[in-house]
Amino acid sequence: MSGYDFQNLRVLICDDSRQIRSLLKTFLNGFGIKNIEEAVDGDKAFHGMQQFDPDLVITDWNMPPTSGLDFIERVRMGADSPNPYVPIIMLTGYTELHRVKQARDAGVSAFLAKPLSAQSLYKRLVAVVDDNRPFIRNGKYFGPDRRTERGSDFMGGERRKRLN
Amino acid sequence: MADTSIIRPPRHISRKVPKSGGPSPEQAIMLALNAAEELTDEYQGWAVDDLRDLWQKFEKLSSDRAVTKAEITEMFDIAHEIRGQGGSFGFDLISAIADSLCKFIEGRRQFNAGVLDVIKVHILAMRAVFHQQLKGDQGALSEQLTELLQALRNKVDLKTNYGS
Repeated sequence: MSGYDFQNLRVLICDDSRQIRSLLKTFLNGFGIKNIEEAVDGDKAFHGMQQFDPDLVITDWNMPPTSGLDFIERVRMGADSPNPYVPIIMLTGYTELHRVKQARDAGVSAFLAKPLSAQSLYKRLVAVVDDNRPFIRNGKYFGPDRRTERGSDFMGGERRKRLN
Repeated sequence: MADTSIIRPPRHISRKVPKSGGPSPEQAIMLALNAAEELTDEYQGWAVDDLRDLWQKFEKLSSDRAVTKAEITEMFDIAHEIRGQGGSFGFDLISAIADSLCKFIEGRRQFNAGVLDVIKVHILAMRAVFHQQLKGDQGALSEQLTELLQALRNKVDLKTNYGS
């Protein structure tokens, strides 16, 4: 039985912890991904994006001086963003519900809690590849459609109009 | 209400990831875990540095003076880092103890002798885990230790809050 072939992916990982970057890179290598760039904070990650053009970004939350959240908002909303549609996985130890909502509202594609495991990372990669959600743009938000988190229980009416 | 547009990302990540042709999920995860094994040894060196930092910060605290917000933040950040890394590198118990420590010091204002003792117990417990090489889940030990630490935290909090 064969599985997803990730080897052509270009991944940017952003974490101020050298240890976590090493572990992420090692896991990704194990999955067949060799094209990986690293950054230690949000600013450097944004510049890295401009140079490297990743297919996927994995970022930590807490990385002074620029947080992962600021970085995501800049990628999604910034006029100078090289790719506002890039899938972004937020990897963090901050897993409280309000934090998850905050990350979602910044435009994160998926959330991955620390401690990190090879299994959970693999699952997130598959989820991101299989994620067919459209992007939504309104006055305050640009990012993956957030309504899917309500799942099939969502009973509200369809208010959005398709503009393009 | 602001107009909302629904947009299909122009180049979806799935275009670069064939759903077959790669290793099976089990193989991919096994490859990743094997590759990460060497890092576990390196991690212990890094963790010793983190614990040393934490101990040094702890030694500067005193129940005779007001502890500054910066000091609490510094300790919390180190403990939070350890929490995220321990389990990631196979030391689940380290993450559990660091998690308990984070819960105990986050937002804390009073640092009396009892509080300092609880912090000390956490740091010493983490040292012992490394010393004994207690990797993995550790089952009953993990449960008992977590309960014990919680009981300690509760006891000190009760005394601190109600002076009993």
